[in-house]
Amino acid sequence: MKPMRIALTKGRLEKDALKLFDSMGMDTSALYDKGRRLILPVGMPDGGQFEAVLAKAADVITYVEHGVCDLGIVGKDIIAEYGGSFYEVLDLGFGKCRFALAAPRGSDFFKGYSTKIVASKYPNVARGYFDRKGMDVGIIKIEGSVELAPLLELSNAIIDIVETGSTLRENGLEVIEDIMPVSARLIVNIACMKLRKKEIEAFVSKMEECL
Amino acid sequence: MKKYVRVTPEGTRDLLFEECIARRRAESILSNLFLSRGFSEVMTPGIEFFDVFDTVLPAQSMYKMTDAQGRLLVMRPDSTLPIARLTATRLKDAPLPIRLFYTQDVYRFNQAQSGYLDQEFQAGIELIGAASEMADIEVLSLAAKALELFDIGDYRLEIGHVGFFMSLIDELDADDDTRDNIRTFIENKNYAALGGVLDTLPVCKAVDAVRQLPRLFGGDEVLKAAASLCGNEQTRCALKFLDTLYKKLCELGLSQKVMIDLGLVHQHEYYTGVIFRGYIEGGGDSVISGGRYDTLLSRFGCDLPATGFGINMDLLARRMLACGCIESTAPVQVLVHAKPGHEAYALKKADEMASKGVVCEVSVFSSINEARLYAKNRRIPKVLEVGGDIRSQQ
Repeated sequence: MKPMRIALTKGRLEKDALKLFDSMGMDTSALYDKGRRLILPVGMPDGGQFEAVLAKAADVITYVEHGVCDLGIVGKDIIAEYGGSFYEVLDLGFGKCRFALAAPRGSDFFKGYSTKIVASKYPNVARGYFDRKGMDVGIIKIEGSVELAPLLELSNAIIDIVETGSTLRENGLEVIEDIMPVSARLIVNIACMKLRKKEIEAFVSKMEECL
Repeated sequence: MKKYVRVTPEGTRDLLFEECIARRRAESILSNLFLSRGFSEVMTPGIEFFDVFDTVLPAQSMYKMTDAQGRLLVMRPDSTLPIARLTATRLKDAPLPIRLFYTQDVYRFNQAQSGYLDQEFQAGIELIGAASEMADIEVLSLAAKALELFDIGDYRLEIGHVGFFMSLIDELDADDDTRDNIRTFIENKNYAALGGVLDTLPVCKAVDAVRQLPRLFGGDEVLKAAASLCGNEQTRCALKFLDTLYKKLCELGLSQKVMIDLGLVHQHEYYTGVIFRGYIEGGGDSVISGGRYDTLLSRFGCDLPATGFGINMDLLARRMLACGCIESTAPVQVLVHAKPGHEAYALKKADEMASKGVVCEVSVFSSINEARLYAKNRRIPKVLEVGGDIRSQQ
């Protein structure tokens, strides 16, 4: 049987994921010295091997959903935005932040009759949040620094992930409401979970011990 | 040139050569299996009234259009509901049970660029008018048999029970939205989020049981674990039933293939009893989905119990190609070229050879040299020039 393959989110979650692998006793030397390679071998303490793939966050979900990767490490923010069908088995506890609604300091977002405009990198999360509130708003998708949108008066508020809130403060914005906590998750492909139950369960429980 | 002249719509694709062979092969393997077990084939229209599916399937997943009178139609999004409709009307006086099978396309919207096809070729069976344990076992064993026949690597069949989950969740002191969330978290095996929601509920035995639900999958040890977790009449019944099914399937030699998953929750709400899914290597998502639906036919004015399953034949065909189970189209062995004035004779000659199983192609070229060049390019080993004296040419 081919080795298990795990998709890792490049960037913010990468370092913590590697640290977690190290504490599980994995040989991660190839991951630290990856060069331009995209598929990297990782040694397991029992002598076995699996493959790690480094991918953009949303792609981790795509690869796991289609079963070309068995497991994936990805932020809850991406899961909330893109959804998909896979098992979300562990909260890894790192990459902690939260979704929040933020607006220019002193403005009252919920006041008045006019339809409010909200900018976000996460339009589905934003849509879901206002649906639950029963509030009709216009949502504009922004790819980069969302804080810019209210400053340029494109939107009345933003929905984004907030870690410390310092970027918001520096740009004259403040959190109006927290929406949901975010952290890194371990996800598993549905068919792989059934076909390789023992291997996956062993891996997951080992990872859980090392959290 | 118009913009969309050279492409197919999102979620659709052309099938060429080997892909068609693989699809036809999948279809014939399954048709033969179902026919050999007394199932009769039905075909339902490619378009149906929206009402047939309304509230059972999500409206946003259906391709919709209107007929000449403005009535809402959909492209067939599922085969079980149309078959329930035809059973309730055309077959209402047929002796029970009714065994039906189908091989036809279904159409559903998927997210654009997600890599999923909106048109899916499905096969399936429906066993209608039988509520017995034997009916469930037969359907399950046929699902396993179907995957076995394809011989494309390892597979798993997992069984669960709607009644188990429903009665557990009924015991929770929670509102409908919370129950919906719990259901989603169990389906996604989202242990973390499930724990979060359950922590907000008053402590009781059912809460602990639900907490364990996503982990309750595996062999029959799962049933024992579940029995110790909860104990109302309905859950006991469901567990006992699953135990019986599991034992019978093991007797059929399927102990390595069958799993129990008490956290199995189906997206279709029409299921009422045992539910199951099948998985194959390299499949990604389930390839078989089915279960018992005892209340669905009453929607069409016919109160009959039923059970069945559907198989994604596109996925099977793709796996057959990937595993090298499909040889390419039979190569052309002879090119028949007619001398001027001997065209009819050449065609007769081609017929004669074809009837003997020799694959031949008729030359449409005006000269024998062109025909030879073509044969060389297409790697056709033999050119037969017909008319007057018959010569064959290597």
